[in-house]
Amino acid sequence: MTGRVRRVVAGLLIVCMGGLSAPLPALAGIVSTDTAVVGAERERLASLLERSEVQERLLVLGVDPANARARVAALSDAEAAQLAAQLDELPAGGDILVAAVLIFLVLLVTDMMGYTKIFPFTRSAR
Amino acid sequence: MHGVRTPAAAGVFILAAALLAGCAAPQVSGLIEKRPAGLPEAAEIAATPFFPQQDYQCGPASLAAVLVHAGRDATPESLLPQVYLPARKGSLQAEMLAATRRHQLVAYPLAPRMEDLLRELAAGTPVLVLQNLALDWWPQWHYAVAIGYDLGRREMVLRSGVTRRLTMPLDTFEHTWARSGHWAVAALPPDRLPAIASESSYLTAVAALERLAPAAARRGYETALARWPRSLAAQIGLGNASYALRDLPGAAAAYLRATSDHPGSADAWNNLAQALHEQGSRAQALAAARHAVSLGGPRLPAYRETLDGILRAP
Repeated sequence: MTGRVRRVVAGLLIVCMGGLSAPLPALAGIVSTDTAVVGAERERLASLLERSEVQERLLVLGVDPANARARVAALSDAEAAQLAAQLDELPAGGDILVAAVLIFLVLLVTDMMGYTKIFPFTRSAR
Repeated sequence: MHGVRTPAAAGVFILAAALLAGCAAPQVSGLIEKRPAGLPEAAEIAATPFFPQQDYQCGPASLAAVLVHAGRDATPESLLPQVYLPARKGSLQAEMLAATRRHQLVAYPLAPRMEDLLRELAAGTPVLVLQNLALDWWPQWHYAVAIGYDLGRREMVLRSGVTRRLTMPLDTFEHTWARSGHWAVAALPPDRLPAIASESSYLTAVAALERLAPAAARRGYETALARWPRSLAAQIGLGNASYALRDLPGAAAAYLRATSDHPGSADAWNNLAQALHEQGSRAQALAAARHAVSLGGPRLPAYRETLDGILRAP
């Protein structure tokens, strides 16, 4: 999918976002538990916008549209706000292998000190 | 090591030699100096499943192990579409929590304390952890499952990567874990409290489950109430989850208990009013709604709306 097509799809999804909050039961007249527990109510509109932003980011990062929708729906308001604000800076656990020589040496030493754990063959001082 | 020629590398080694003796980790040292009462010397949850990781997919593999241990159906393949980000070649912490909830489990983030982690393991719950195996300025993020420890041998036992039973010095584990901000999560069936449970953390975790799985959340609130019988958040949560499941009598009973234990909670009165109203108890609903409005607070407009709704109804 080209970037442009993807952007159009993302745009369409955002337009259809009205349905995104569907998993929230219609709580007419009910103060939600989140609000009661945390005490601070997130603006409903702000939360919807954050969710649509996160959904768009997920698409760009290679998640297919149906999955992106379900994934965003499973986030709490606080998590959606956090991902909307800083998804790109957050760690994504997945083992990116390091290779540079200096880094290799530094990590070898820190491994031996028991400070890091990169190489299976190192045994730390402790 | 032969052939270390460059001054920089030689310097690094001299520095390392100087530091080699001094790399004990703070929390581990404290625990070993004075073992907290009731914490066993060693524990291991040998029955924890193991899914060797493929490519960069330590997230789905580790998550599958804790979900299956908690009695849910999952494989790394089934979790890929729920947590993996192809362009980042990894998985985000928030999505690991969200996927846990999608399996009707409470995703409980542990306090950043080694003792809490060890107690959870001693209680038989494997714990999902995020480590930064390398350095702050050159991170290598890695999800693994902590399954045991041995204070005598000063070791942590993990399901990690392609290694079914990885032992790692406890101090090394603490260093790598501290660099992820001590991130650790227990995936718990909603009828089971964490070993060291904080009321507010537990209820926040259950509330996050409510939108996806109200039945599981209702069970979680009941579990919380067994431990903290007067918890306002649990009482309101139990009411809200019951309401979401359209169990109006159950919801009203929970809200009623909240108003009796916490007569100053306008939220409880408001929700009670709504539940009574939908059950057709108009007079009681009106009284409760008026009481909520008279108590006021930051959500007064919502209480007024509830009251108006009852007054407008035929």
